[in-house]
Amino acid sequence: MESFERRLAQAKLECERLRAAVSSVVIGQDEVVEQVMWGLIAGGHVLLEGNPGLGKTLLVRTLSACLDLRFSRIQFTPDLMPSDITGTNVLVLSGASQPERRFELHRGPIFGQVVLADEINRATPKTQSALLEAMQEHAVTIAGQRHVLEEPFFVLATENPIEMEGTYPLPEAQLDRFLLKISVRSPDEQQLQRILRQTTGRANAAPERVLGVESVLRLRELCREIAVADPVLAYAARLVNASSPEQASATPLVRKAVRYGAGVRGAQALVLAAKAVALLQGRGNVAFADLQRTALPVLRHRILRSFEGEADAISTDHIIQELVASLAIRPEDVERTIQEAG
Amino acid sequence: MTERLDRFEQLFRRYARRIRLLLFARGVLSGAAVGALVGAGVAAVLWRSGQGAVRPFALVAVLGGALIVAAVVAQRRRWSDTHVALFLDARLDTAEAVTSALAAPTEQAELARALQERACQTLASAQPRRLRIRWLLPLHLALPVGLALGSWISVLPLPARASAPTAPGRELVKHENLSGLDRIEALERAPGLSEADAQRLRQLSRQAQKLRADLVRGLERREAQARAAKLRDDIAAEQQRFGDKAERPGVDAAVSALGAQRFTQAAAKALGEGDLVAFDAEMQALANQAESRARDAARAALEEALQGARDRGSKKLAALLERQAKLFAEREGNAAALRELAEHLKDKLGAQARRDLDELGASGSLEAQQRLAKAVIEALKGLSEAERQKLAEALGRQLSNGQAGNPLTAEQLEELASKLSTDEGQRALAEQLRKLSQSSPDAERERALEEAERGGAEAQRGLGVLPVPSPGQSGVGQGNAASPGQQPGQGNAAGRGGGAAGHAGQTPALHGDELRARAATQLLPGAPLATRSLGRAEARPGETARQLGTGNLGNVGAGEVSAVEGADIPEAYREQVGRYFEP
Repeated sequence: MESFERRLAQAKLECERLRAAVSSVVIGQDEVVEQVMWGLIAGGHVLLEGNPGLGKTLLVRTLSACLDLRFSRIQFTPDLMPSDITGTNVLVLSGASQPERRFELHRGPIFGQVVLADEINRATPKTQSALLEAMQEHAVTIAGQRHVLEEPFFVLATENPIEMEGTYPLPEAQLDRFLLKISVRSPDEQQLQRILRQTTGRANAAPERVLGVESVLRLRELCREIAVADPVLAYAARLVNASSPEQASATPLVRKAVRYGAGVRGAQALVLAAKAVALLQGRGNVAFADLQRTALPVLRHRILRSFEGEADAISTDHIIQELVASLAIRPEDVERTIQEAG
Repeated sequence: MTERLDRFEQLFRRYARRIRLLLFARGVLSGAAVGALVGAGVAAVLWRSGQGAVRPFALVAVLGGALIVAAVVAQRRRWSDTHVALFLDARLDTAEAVTSALAAPTEQAELARALQERACQTLASAQPRRLRIRWLLPLHLALPVGLALGSWISVLPLPARASAPTAPGRELVKHENLSGLDRIEALERAPGLSEADAQRLRQLSRQAQKLRADLVRGLERREAQARAAKLRDDIAAEQQRFGDKAERPGVDAAVSALGAQRFTQAAAKALGEGDLVAFDAEMQALANQAESRARDAARAALEEALQGARDRGSKKLAALLERQAKLFAEREGNAAALRELAEHLKDKLGAQARRDLDELGASGSLEAQQRLAKAVIEALKGLSEAERQKLAEALGRQLSNGQAGNPLTAEQLEELASKLSTDEGQRALAEQLRKLSQSSPDAERERALEEAERGGAEAQRGLGVLPVPSPGQSGVGQGNAASPGQQPGQGNAAGRGGGAAGHAGQTPALHGDELRARAATQLLPGAPLATRSLGRAEARPGETARQLGTGNLGNVGAGEVSAVEGADIPEAYREQVGRYFEP
């Protein structure tokens, strides 16, 4: 068995190759690509929120191509049915002489390995729940029969923040199932120039396969092995606790603008995402900085604002940033000694 | 516990030891700085309180104590391995490699080794300057400052200690010769009205002598003051007072009787003022006069005064007037004898003596009597045997010729002649003449008591007490201004008014009748108040509006009313103001 260091080094190399491959196609979204990789490595699902045309679908497709994973896309529409996602049994007649009737499972797009759930907020809650169930269970039940989905099973859902009319926003309890919620920003001018140069010229070559199924699974396993020291775990717990207004450690802003804070699942997601960050950096341990870096995408969809927070237009991002800035990382005397040392 | 790499263990322990040592030193220095300041403060307090010898020890003790406490506190606050690791990670920017290596999971040996190897590399390549701890704080400047201050205070000369105030009553006084006591001691020679009275005066004298002796040895001030005050009180009690209820009517009658006669009006005034010395002097002067009319009138007035006192039950006054009456007769004879002798010895007397003879006869002057007596004694001494015999014969002839116009009685003449005939008799006569101008025992007694009272006041002042005026004579004031602090008769100080009604039991009502002044004086209608008042009187051209008026207050009132007319008072208020000043 290879040593941990070798595996870690290997994993870092593979991830860098994957990142480079995806970034070569998806321009100007390096941070998004990075965070999507967190989700992939941590074994969670990712919710992408951004305006149309920012490359969300391209990102998923490219990622899928680089990973040599089976890609499927679900375009959510209001008339989409759950069976359109999961699949259904179809009556099939076979045999010329004596036709045989049997039911044959026609698998739905959920059986892909990298599933793009486009505009998930457009489908009805019933249809949404079919996907969310599969995300949670990594299995679907069709006509009473349970079908386990093939690993790695990675769902990337998108939300269009512009068109909210006629949509069904995901409830907070369902949002909690996504490890990360990534905000896809518009590219700056230089990035836009690169995009234009790349996409309006000759057709580019398809991205090459970088990692296979085994590699992804290995990455996920290695991610779980990343060490988290007690002080770091304590910090993660403090951070999540501080997001709840009823906790003593909550900041005044949290008490004012938050109705419900992140729960246990949020803390788990925080640590898993931080492990993924550490792995991507080739470290075998999680650092305080990893937690601070993953706090925003992990917690932004898990904090429910109060009426006052909404009325004052206090964003969850602002709340999380304030939390991270105000919460002490280390014990007070250690911090004081560090500051005195200059 | 995970099995750590030896190398990582070594490196970590080395850094941990250094960090802990520096933190410990910082804590101890902080405690020492605080201890030095506190020790300097304690030394300052001891310096202020005069505990000079303890100062350096106090500084050292406080400093030592602070060091121990600081060491204990620093030890309790000793950083754990995790704290040290967190500090190392932060200073070396290792992304918590050391912390993770320290707590690597035992079940993942590979991972643990990998973490520790990484941490080891980090620690091995660490620059020491990045791991320095600021162990010298601004607070530590207080250590040399406090030590310097404390050392300086320890050698500083002690401030002059203010003498602690002695507790009241603890102060000893010593007087070799307290002024004033001698006059109390002189009461031993003062004549008493009776044996018991003389005994009491001698007792007072002995008390003064004892006080003097105790003061020489040293006596507690309060006790000395109390004894001096008691002496004064006892002396005052011995002085004859006729102001009480029993004697007052007799005094009024006696003063009235004496005041009715022209010759005895001065004596009446003195008796009314309670001045027995002056009363005696007046009566003696009357007895000395050659004019029989004056003497007869005085004798009669005295008898009437005596009778009046007896009739009104004033026993003390009656006894005094009785003694005075007996003495009056004796003085009459003595003065007559002196005049007789002086007449017979006129050739032998000088001009002054002849003038004194005339004066003695005219006014009864005591000074003239003294001088004349002295001159007669000298003249008698200078007589030869033959001249003495001749004088005795002349007095004998006078006796045999009858006593018409002779103030001396037959017995007195005979006695005088017999004295002249023998040497012993002459000496007795000389002694008798010398005693002519002596006051009566009552007056002598009063004079001695007044002197003693003044001596007592002086003694009290010598002991640091402001003498309280002795109880004043009732009626028309003391007249004796020698006693310090004495005030003229205050008058009846009976209060008026009572307590406010409606206190509902909270404050008892005050009944004015119960309030009595210490000096229960009464104004005598016939005797004007010896005081002076400042008031306004009618202005005459060329005079000021203010005049110093003396006499009864009633007279002042009249002048005040008139002054209203001339004063700058609005017309509408003149009537009211005038009414205010109406007598």
